[in-house]
Amino acid sequence: MCSPEEEALLRLEEVFSATLARVNSLVLLPLLETTPEPSDPQGRECLRLLQRLHWSSQRLWEVTEESLHSLRERLCHQDTVGLESLMLLQHAERVLQAHVEYIESYSSCVVVQAFQKAAKKRREFWRGQRKALWQLLPGVSPEASVGTVLAQALHQPLAHHVQQYVLLLLSFGDTAAEPHRTRELVVHAATLFVNLQSFLRQALDQALATQALWHSLSSRLRDGLCTPERRLLQDSQDVPVTVTPLRAERVLLFDDALVLLQGHSVHTFDLKLVWVDPGQDRCTFHLLTPEEELSFCSKAPQDRMVWQWKVTQAVCQALRGKKDFPVLGADLEPSEPPTCRCVAYTFRAEGRLCQATYEGEWCRGRPHGRGTLKWPDGRNHVGNFCQGLEHGFGIRLVPQGPEDRFDCYKCHWREGSMCGYGICEYGTDEVYKGYFRAGLRHGFGVLASAPRALQPCKYTGHWERGQRSGYGVEEDGARGERYIGMWQADQRHGPGVMVTQAGVCYQGTFQADKMVGPGILLSEDDSLYEGTFTRDLTLVGKGKVTFPNGFTLEGSFGSGAGKGLHTQGVLDTAAFPPDPSSTRKRQLGVGIFPVESHWQGVYGPFRDFVSAGCPGDEQEALLGFHVQNSRELRKSQEYLCCERTQPEPCADRMEGILDELLLHREPRALRECLRKALSNSLHPLGKLLRTLMLTFQATYAGIGANKHLQALAQEEVKQHARELWAAYRGLLQVALQRKGQAPEEDEDTETRDLQVHGLVLPLMLPSFYSELFTLYLLLHETEDSLYSQGIANLSLFPDTKLLEFLDVQKHLWPLKDLTLTTNQRLSLVRDKCFLSATECLQKIITTVDPREKLEVLERTYGEIEATVSRVLGREHKLPMDDLLPLLIYVVSRARIQHLGAEIHLIRDMMDPIHAGGLCDFLLTALESCYEHIQKEDMRLHRFPGRWDSREPW
Amino acid sequence: MMAIRELKVCLLGDTGVGKSSIVCRFVQDHFDHNISPTIGASFMTKTVPCGNELHKFLIWDTAGQERFHSLAPMYYRGSAAAVIVYDITKQDSFHTLKKWVKELKEHGPENIVMAIAGNKCDLSDIREVPLKDAKEYAESIGAVVVETSAKNAINIEELFQGISRQIPPLDPHENGNSGAIKLGKPATQASRRCC
Repeated sequence: MCSPEEEALLRLEEVFSATLARVNSLVLLPLLETTPEPSDPQGRECLRLLQRLHWSSQRLWEVTEESLHSLRERLCHQDTVGLESLMLLQHAERVLQAHVEYIESYSSCVVVQAFQKAAKKRREFWRGQRKALWQLLPGVSPEASVGTVLAQALHQPLAHHVQQYVLLLLSFGDTAAEPHRTRELVVHAATLFVNLQSFLRQALDQALATQALWHSLSSRLRDGLCTPERRLLQDSQDVPVTVTPLRAERVLLFDDALVLLQGHSVHTFDLKLVWVDPGQDRCTFHLLTPEEELSFCSKAPQDRMVWQWKVTQAVCQALRGKKDFPVLGADLEPSEPPTCRCVAYTFRAEGRLCQATYEGEWCRGRPHGRGTLKWPDGRNHVGNFCQGLEHGFGIRLVPQGPEDRFDCYKCHWREGSMCGYGICEYGTDEVYKGYFRAGLRHGFGVLASAPRALQPCKYTGHWERGQRSGYGVEEDGARGERYIGMWQADQRHGPGVMVTQAGVCYQGTFQADKMVGPGILLSEDDSLYEGTFTRDLTLVGKGKVTFPNGFTLEGSFGSGAGKGLHTQGVLDTAAFPPDPSSTRKRQLGVGIFPVESHWQGVYGPFRDFVSAGCPGDEQEALLGFHVQNSRELRKSQEYLCCERTQPEPCADRMEGILDELLLHREPRALRECLRKALSNSLHPLGKLLRTLMLTFQATYAGIGANKHLQALAQEEVKQHARELWAAYRGLLQVALQRKGQAPEEDEDTETRDLQVHGLVLPLMLPSFYSELFTLYLLLHETEDSLYSQGIANLSLFPDTKLLEFLDVQKHLWPLKDLTLTTNQRLSLVRDKCFLSATECLQKIITTVDPREKLEVLERTYGEIEATVSRVLGREHKLPMDDLLPLLIYVVSRARIQHLGAEIHLIRDMMDPIHAGGLCDFLLTALESCYEHIQKEDMRLHRFPGRWDSREPW
Repeated sequence: MMAIRELKVCLLGDTGVGKSSIVCRFVQDHFDHNISPTIGASFMTKTVPCGNELHKFLIWDTAGQERFHSLAPMYYRGSAAAVIVYDITKQDSFHTLKKWVKELKEHGPENIVMAIAGNKCDLSDIREVPLKDAKEYAESIGAVVVETSAKNAINIEELFQGISRQIPPLDPHENGNSGAIKLGKPATQASRRCC
């Protein structure tokens, strides 16, 4: 047996369904029948709204039919189908949604008076329908206008129906006691529909108030402000309030915007970008918007309360993007709007942001967080903002010229201007990679011209307020020159060295890009000129030439048109040819700029980083970053992201890096730890090393591969090692500090030198080796070629003959245990004598580490001694009288190329503390062999009775 | 802790006069706490006390053959002392010694301490160089002189003690952490010519 409530519900739904159908055919369909199509925008808008209403009415009808169906099912199979299967209970939300949609489209029609307008249009038709309409709405007075009747016809049945729902559900609740779940469902549905009643009431009130507002406003204002969806929430005519600084006559709070009317002008503020701030006193509060700060003042505190509450709730609702249900501010969620929001906004006020559109995160009226800023002139900034200004990493595109060319700045920003490390690719294809301050190049940076520019040019060095200033290296591709020296205000200024493609180089003092006063000029044939000369290397004025043969010419020089060089002076032919080692000592740049100051712009940011306590988020700005596919990014404006190589959040990584340092402080572990750090381009130390490599290559590769720069380069490498060690120490101190441990004490000079030479230098040397070794090669070219001749000559000797030639005492010859035939012995002996020592020595070129090279050398001595001991059948300590000839033998057989360059590089990189010690001795002995092999009798001497391999000996 | 001063000492003298025997005797006769690495008999070290300092001798042997003479400057540069050895039974070797002294005076490090060792004094019956000659010569050049026998371990200790005594003590005001090495650092002898 079915309950009477259920039957009542069935009847209710049946009636509602029928009513909807009637209203549909009597009212909605005729309303939509507008031929011809309205031509004015308002008419079209009305039609659109009515269509939407029709559609939601259909939805409502469908839902009602479904509900009916579920009721009938229940009636037929009462025993099997429970009460909870009713659509109204089970899918209360869906039913509700259909109602809400209907209410919203209906109220939109009310706001724009769609019914009145439509009725006016087809007045004749509706007059004919009058009787039928009035039948539909029994309670309506006969005097009511058609518009009103239409509006009523579309609203009244719904209101009635919802009311009945509530009544029935409540009585359901009283009867249906059994299963608990069913009861819950009933209560839930009842609550929903009670709420729906409130919603409906508020929607209608708002719609009517809004409609009344539009009615009262001038048509110009109405046209500007009216949209069907907009609802008035508060009007200053109802609750008075004054707004400063705009002095608005009227303040209108809509559900999407705050509007201030002031004479003819209208100020509209998007609610999504309104932040409410409580005021100082009870009658004021403030609103923050992107471009204005408004103060709301009321006479009575409660008026302020009303406004503040309404605005706050309206902001919340606007941010949620849907109407609060059942009424404004009724949501259960916290009613405070979030301070950080994500919105797009176009700035209007004059200033740098005028007409620019910002899309992204905001906080309290200002762009804050990630966002994109686009100016109408095509400028474009993607990145981080803070308090309305660019701050943190950002990419700025600035269009250049008519073509699709841009200057692209991938930089770190601070308070709106570039600050810290950045990469800028200009529309001209120039690229700057380096540091900025206050939007200008400042600190270390590299500016390179376009790869295929007609006059290629590259500057690697220091900048000050956008100008080249301080130590810097400039390569002028067109002139084939490289300037290494001091700059000021974009000009060469101060001591400098110029190296040319032709191998000529000079050193002097520059002023405003020109060389002034005397300088030193070195030509490739080792002539030396000390005096004054011009930039195109013409000798002018007083000076002294020292020729490679030692002759000197001192006097005054000049050159006339077509007469070539002329001179008046004294030619001294008495001098001896200069010692090669003294020619080698002619090094440029040494002492004129202290090596410590060369690359301050590279070390400086690292020190800043350390003294700031290694902040992870500052790491990139201070130490730089690497960008992938930079060229491709720049080509289009669709870049929007910059693939910086940064797999993990900086702060965490920094933490890890510092922990790592603390874990590996024992010598062995430290070496490995440093090796890893230096080879990792994301590690602070690795980054520093990479930048140093860049400067080194810019100075000493290519044109800079000039033997007169060897000393400068060598000093620089050692300085880098010292700085890297200091950098490591800095990081370590920060790591200790972070863990609350006591910092390490300052080390003394000796310990530091030991670490620098013993630990850091070998680890970093590979990064500089190729350029550095090239300089040594060039410097020792002459001796190395004599040495090669010596080696070549000695290689003609068979082993025994060579041993004899070198005066190695016969009893040391490793021959006696060979009991083979003459011929066999011949070939074997040739390959066998001191083979182990020879092979050992050859390994010297397999490493760049000077310590390892010395170890190879030491093992070689060991091998020689071992061989001799075997020959003699007892342990034998070789005195130098015996060792040196044997060593010369081994060196000549090892045939190591460029031995001179090797030896001097090892010696220069050796810790000075080893002077006089074992390493020094090992190296000196090797060097003496090298010197000896260069001697004339080694290079030219032929063994008496030339060796003939076919003759037995 | 006593300060250790490293003193580079180079051995000069004709081949066969027993340069390295003297050093071997000096180094091996006494127990040395630090077993320092050596290169055969060519490079050896020994630490001896001297006053309130420890002198660590870094002893560099050189090849005595005539043909290698020109390489000697590489070995004696930076030396605090030179031990020049001759064979009392060979007049020639004493002659060579004089040549070494001359070279050191001209091209050697400033203030180098020179010590003359007349070796093989156990063979005085076939002596060719009288002790008096050696003494007179040493006095004329301000050098330490002793007659030694590496074989019988005579005067070896005294030779090096003599050197120690001649090494000027460290000036406390000077920042001397590696002492004599620094003192003897080669001045930039750009004009040095090979002999």
